[in-house]
Amino acid sequence: MENALSELAHSLNTTTTTEGTFFEAILTESGTIEVICSNNTEFPIQVVMTEKQILAVTYLFKTSEIQLDKVAELNIALLELSPLVPLSSTGMQGDHYILFGAMAISTDIKEIVHELEVQAENTIDVLEAIESLLN
Amino acid sequence: MSILRNIFQAIKGGASQAGEAIVDSNLIRILEQDIRDDGNAINKAKQSLTNLKSTEINLKRKLESLSQDISDYEGKAVSLLESGNEALATETAERIAEIETDYNETKTEYDVLAKEVTDLNKLIKNRAKNLEKNKRELEKVKTVGELQKASASINNNLASTGSTANSVRDSLARVKEKQQKWKDRQKAGEWMEDESQSSDLDQKLADAGVSGSATSSASSVLERLRSKNTGS
Repeated sequence: MENALSELAHSLNTTTTTEGTFFEAILTESGTIEVICSNNTEFPIQVVMTEKQILAVTYLFKTSEIQLDKVAELNIALLELSPLVPLSSTGMQGDHYILFGAMAISTDIKEIVHELEVQAENTIDVLEAIESLLN
Repeated sequence: MSILRNIFQAIKGGASQAGEAIVDSNLIRILEQDIRDDGNAINKAKQSLTNLKSTEINLKRKLESLSQDISDYEGKAVSLLESGNEALATETAERIAEIETDYNETKTEYDVLAKEVTDLNKLIKNRAKNLEKNKRELEKVKTVGELQKASASINNNLASTGSTANSVRDSLARVKEKQQKWKDRQKAGEWMEDESQSSDLDQKLADAGVSGSATSSASSVLERLRSKNTGS
């Protein structure tokens, strides 16, 4: 799996999409690939792999960053928005709200970069949509 | 208990921090053992199938040849009866009965074998189904582990940059500002492009000798002065 990760990181570092997005991918100490997309350099994407899938995870914000009385409203908003967001879904991990995309392990690099590029865009879209509920 | 339910209960119990073993390790061991068992059973069944295949081919060939023999001898017996050779016809009929006995025995053997093949195929299908199901279950466990890695990585980032600089609103503002700058740069680029295109046009006009008064040179000025002089 480590080989596959470094191979993917290398491919990402040498690929530019048709829209001109390029990537900076590094292998982290935690065993993930951290990807910074040129179209959104503020929200890095963590990429991990299992035997069957590639997961791309963007950490959006912590529970503590939501206005105290708006948590339920925000949760419903994210559940409703999730199906509308192309290729990415919203979710939660611990006290972090996340945006994530899952791909089959056999996905080729062209599709992977497209997915990451779209996820980087989606991050801005989703955050803009729910910004008023944050601290 | 299903893995997903196990994970949910662990999360409900507050075990969502990275590094914590969310899923009962016994459950994982059982799953892994089941996957190994299914894999072994499938391999064994496939091996048996391969072995049975050659027996099946042999039996089938034998059945075809016996049935061919029966119809041959039947044809001969009929013509012997027609020619009145009762004794030889009876002998031939006895031979047919022998072959038929052999055929029936072989056919029974073949049917048993065919059922065995069907059963083995069914077993492989069921085991494979179970194997895939267990692999998917195990995949969920692995995903929990991988997500914990992602979480650890982001927590390292937060720790190294300091949490105040990382408020989501600030990040969003910065990324929007960058987008705006990029759009501005793109506009500036388009303007430069237009400019260079119009100067291209001037150059082309000059090259074509239709530049008008836009360009002047010492020679054209002298020319003008001379013509003024001769005109007056």
